[in-house]
Amino acid sequence: MSALVDASLLADIKQFGAADVSACFSCGNCTAVCPLSSNDGTFPRRMIRYAQVGMKDALLSSKELWTCYHCGLCSDTCPTQADPGGFMAAARRYAIANYDRTRLAWTMYTKPVLATLIAILLAAFFAVFMYTSHGPQSATSLAFFQFIPEGLIHMTGVVVMSLAVLAGLVGVVTMARGISRREGSRRKSPRDGRAPGARFWKALWVALGVESLGQRRYRADCATVQEERPWYRRRWLIHSATMWGFLGLLLATLLDYGLSLIGVKATGTLVPIWYPVRLLGTVAGLALVYGVSMFIVDRLRREGQAAKQSEASDWTLLVLLWITGVSGFIIELALYLPHPPAWGYWVFLFHVSVAMELVLLAPFMKFAHAVYRPVALFFWALAGDEAKENN
Amino acid sequence: MSERRIGVFICHCGGNISDYVDVAQVRDAIKDEPDVVVAQTTIFACADATQQDMVQAIQDEQLDGLVVASCSPKLHTFTFRGVAKRAGMNPYLYTQVNIREQDSWAHTDDPVGATEKAIRLVKAGIAKTRLSSPLEPIEVETTPKTMVIGGGITGLRAAIGLADIGLGVYLIEREPELGGWVAQFGAMYPHERKGRELIQELVAEVRRRPSIVVFTKAELMAKSGSFGNYLTEVRVNSGVPDLIHLEVGSIVVATGFDAYQPEVGEYGYGIDGVLTLPEFKALIDSSEGSLTYHGRKVGTVAYIYCVGSRQPEGNAYCSRYCCAATVHASLKVAEIDPKLHQYHLYRDIRTYGKYELMYTESRERGSVYMKFPEDTPPAVARGASGQLTVTTHDTLTGGEELTIPADLVVLVTGMVPRRNDTLMSVLKLPIGSDGFFNEIHPKLRPVETVVDGVLIAGTCQGPKNSSESVASGLAAVTQSGAILKKGVAELDPLVATVNTTACTWCGKCEETCPYAAVEKTSADGREVAAINATVCKGCGGCTPVCPEGAIDLRGYTDAQIQAMIENLAEVPVV
Repeated sequence: MSALVDASLLADIKQFGAADVSACFSCGNCTAVCPLSSNDGTFPRRMIRYAQVGMKDALLSSKELWTCYHCGLCSDTCPTQADPGGFMAAARRYAIANYDRTRLAWTMYTKPVLATLIAILLAAFFAVFMYTSHGPQSATSLAFFQFIPEGLIHMTGVVVMSLAVLAGLVGVVTMARGISRREGSRRKSPRDGRAPGARFWKALWVALGVESLGQRRYRADCATVQEERPWYRRRWLIHSATMWGFLGLLLATLLDYGLSLIGVKATGTLVPIWYPVRLLGTVAGLALVYGVSMFIVDRLRREGQAAKQSEASDWTLLVLLWITGVSGFIIELALYLPHPPAWGYWVFLFHVSVAMELVLLAPFMKFAHAVYRPVALFFWALAGDEAKENN
Repeated sequence: MSERRIGVFICHCGGNISDYVDVAQVRDAIKDEPDVVVAQTTIFACADATQQDMVQAIQDEQLDGLVVASCSPKLHTFTFRGVAKRAGMNPYLYTQVNIREQDSWAHTDDPVGATEKAIRLVKAGIAKTRLSSPLEPIEVETTPKTMVIGGGITGLRAAIGLADIGLGVYLIEREPELGGWVAQFGAMYPHERKGRELIQELVAEVRRRPSIVVFTKAELMAKSGSFGNYLTEVRVNSGVPDLIHLEVGSIVVATGFDAYQPEVGEYGYGIDGVLTLPEFKALIDSSEGSLTYHGRKVGTVAYIYCVGSRQPEGNAYCSRYCCAATVHASLKVAEIDPKLHQYHLYRDIRTYGKYELMYTESRERGSVYMKFPEDTPPAVARGASGQLTVTTHDTLTGGEELTIPADLVVLVTGMVPRRNDTLMSVLKLPIGSDGFFNEIHPKLRPVETVVDGVLIAGTCQGPKNSSESVASGLAAVTQSGAILKKGVAELDPLVATVNTTACTWCGKCEETCPYAAVEKTSADGREVAAINATVCKGCGGCTPVCPEGAIDLRGYTDAQIQAMIENLAEVPVV
């Protein structure tokens, strides 16, 4: 099958922040130095070549795009200063924008001013929308769910999450179909040996468990370049803190809802700080805020190849996560103050609005990597498994 | 003849000879030959140190004859004549014996026979040397004028150079206008000056020099005479054809090249939108603001390199100028429209030397270079939708087939020799298997031909860019100066001579001479033959036809040849 060349591919990717990879002459230094490229590996060199040549489909259906963690060794050693690492990051942004069928992601990435406006207006919309149904603000204790009805928040949350999941699913299916078509055409030997089912589950475990939760390759990537950093500043660690923190908060929220469903504790009931669900939320929140804050510090100081160049899209995610995390803590603080402050209600409204926005925009911004990377890693694990069997 | 002192050196040629010929045995067989005072073997006779040893031996032993048994005389006659000269010995007392091409290489299956043959060849060489006599070059006065054939950039610059060293110049151009290819070019690399401006400047310089006479619509029809003094016949077609006769001392041939013209269907040639490089360059030169073709803006250009060059069948050579010219054209295109997409499909890119920087710049300006495997060349087609496409493979992306939609496809066509049958038959210049004129030696005698005084320059000799062409044109100027500025030319003295007392003027020698070197003259009141030594090439054709045995060839006298045969055959020749 002949691949139709898209002459404007490179120009398009440049909108997503790629350095000028026209200078690249495919020497392959990047591949040689890359700690994550295997012996028969062709990334990042071939990814850049796809972009130069205009092989859009090949680029978008390359799982290799997502097996890079941007340690930046390649950019350090590139003889033409083509910044392969920066290119890979830009290509991932481009991929997120392409997996999304609505073009919203494209706008969010390529039009920073408009994207900021959308973010502000969307948060404002949620705030106004919920405030229109507001109840009284109790002065004796912070009764948030009298102020904004619990049912409204719940329903809005369900709708927002459904929309986000739907958009994410469409993207994941688009991506997975592309990759599997490409992997299928590359596959040389017929499937044999271990049962397909076992292979599937093993790859899923590697993608979600070992790599996504365990960050094995991320750790390996960092090990090669960041020896001079203290352990608590390592990129994989602050990324893990952010991710685990986010997942912990998600779990705490779900548990809180579950406890109210089985009638153990109504949502919004004031509980002591050591109450397990509260404790989980607090610890997870601390992790999230620590991780995000460190990322922000790195980017402000431009420390390391990954933080050298920051796009608006990088800031959008960090800022939204940080606001959500910090405002959550301010609410917690307000709850435990001896005299419930009136501003607590407004912070609560702000927090809920931004959290809603974060979820709704997730598939259209950098957050989307949280689903696309595991999908790519699944195919990577599947291919790796096969390679071992063929040997 | 009185006693001679002959030195014999037998070369191993590093095994080329000694693997099959027992050189020590050859030496032992000849060392006691009469007149042989030095007999040595050597690993490489042509090596500098060995040459020095020979000079020493000639001087120490007071030699008056030198024999080197090594390779073909084509390779090293002049080398060892030089050795003799440096040692103070007349160079024509030297004889080269070929025991490589004519012996060791020919008889690899028979070392014993090869050794026996070598002994006889060397003995024959000694016999010839024994009868050799010192000769001096023939000096002739030369005409201080040069004819330059071809008024392109090479011929124009050569004409100016010749005039500036004080030689008269006849500049002969077949077309009505001077300028050749370069006159049609716009901006050229690396200086970005327009080709037509360069030509205008050169033509103005030519006009400024009264010693240059320009003939346009003119062709060389005939040439006679010899090195240093050629008489030419030039046909000038200004209105009525006119034959004029010009006397010149040397001729510089700068007749240029033709562009390769693809066959219809070759890489889609013939399809609308498929152009050759010269056609595309003309399109660029006429474009301003944006690149348009048939009124439509061009968004994507695909170049296919090596069309008509480096072909397994056909032109095997690299046309040398096209890579850099195309890369430069792509920079021009990027200047006209920076957003235009350019794909370069190549087998190998050779923007050698300083032009490499242009290649880098072109890549940085967004040109995409893709190497296709030699066995799967790109295919050009215009689909049902009317879209022109090129299908190719890019080795750097794992060889997947790619389809590039293009508005223009440029076939990067190379140079082919310009056909000019009249000139070829008039000048009798040797032509290589590629169809271009051949020089004597690509490194050491790069503009000289086997025809003395006829020099070649520019692309008639092989593909070159215009800088290289002009450089070779100026080399031809220097070489013409070297020939003509002395005022006299030294010719090889190995020519025929007539014993006028024996000659009866039967005219057979005149009939057989291919160079018209024999003239009738009178001596002591009798009609006899005379040889024009400046015209005679020493071919020896006249000597066997003379019924009186009155003609001898210097350096190859009848006595010498007879002595050689006797030694080869080892029986007396009657």
